[in-house]
Amino acid sequence: METNILYTHKSLVEKSKLGDRNAQYKLYELYVDAMYNISMRMMHIKEDAEDVVQDSFIEAFNNLSSFRYESTFGSWLKRIVINKSINQLKKKKIPVVPIEDQMYHIKEDAEDIPSEIDIKNIIKGIRLLPSGYQQIINLYLIEGYDHVEISEILEISPSTSKSQYHRAKKKLIEIVKTL
Amino acid sequence: MDNFEKYIKENKALFDVHKADKSKLWENIESGLNKPESKTKTIKLWSNPLFKVAATVIIALGVFSIINISLVSGANNSIQNNVALQELNDINSHYKGLIAYQVKLVNKNTQLSPEEKKEFLSFMDELDIEYEILKEELQKNVDTERVLEAVVINYKKRIELIENLLEQINSSKKLDNDDAYTL
Repeated sequence: METNILYTHKSLVEKSKLGDRNAQYKLYELYVDAMYNISMRMMHIKEDAEDVVQDSFIEAFNNLSSFRYESTFGSWLKRIVINKSINQLKKKKIPVVPIEDQMYHIKEDAEDIPSEIDIKNIIKGIRLLPSGYQQIINLYLIEGYDHVEISEILEISPSTSKSQYHRAKKKLIEIVKTL
Repeated sequence: MDNFEKYIKENKALFDVHKADKSKLWENIESGLNKPESKTKTIKLWSNPLFKVAATVIIALGVFSIINISLVSGANNSIQNNVALQELNDINSHYKGLIAYQVKLVNKNTQLSPEEKKEFLSFMDELDIEYEILKEELQKNVDTERVLEAVVINYKKRIELIENLLEQINSSKKLDNDDAYTL
């Protein structure tokens, strides 16, 4: 079953490897919105997100021969988008990991989690977090990466990723409660 | 995983609130893509000046010899060829009608079983193949007279075959008839 998932859109991927423009467009159509949303969550600026998505697709198609179905095409592409987004943020000197001064000191018993919150408020809440916290929340909660993967993406240790995620989550819940 | 995390993971799709400008993005992507690989590998011989010289010499020699051959022997050959073809046409028109008529007779004959007819016609097919080969020989400008003779022999063989067959049938008919009288 797992192998089947890895080979999702195999024929389109194989044709794209040979430079078939139609197949490349079909793959693009299937993934562009998802990739654009990932980048928008990280970059927040439309033009920046568009640049990241364009560059990611170009890099993906031009280097498709190196894609060997070790993951799905979607997650391979997503990783390119995330890496490019992180690089862009770094270039713009926007912190991708929380800096000491920004760290919130939250009481351990503060975790009073509301059962159902409006997703719109969560989206708004994430936007109100410091940039470093935003990325870790995005990567763990929404993009579904584990702490080992996040540690690779953000070049931090897995334990740092874990502790910072917990801080970020607590802050997010605090913010959301006020909305 | 706590309830908050669970809730977000279950509603992941709701976080995708943006729509990409597909055509605009594709336009920019397409301009950055590598050209499709050509399926056949091209070996650039022409980049070597030695090959250029060699090719020019070969082409020049080729053109010269073609012109030479066509000028010297072209005129003669074309006349000869025309005559040979004319002759072949004459032979064809003379014998083809004859053979077609006789084949028809064989086909119509009720005395022969379908297998016998098939066997007989397969002989004819063999002669057809021989005829095609002869026709090709004629175009190659080999000894035209001998080839034409062979064509005529080929036709004659067919006629002979058919005549023999028809004779056999007729004689057996006569025999049958004689038998009928004696009875």
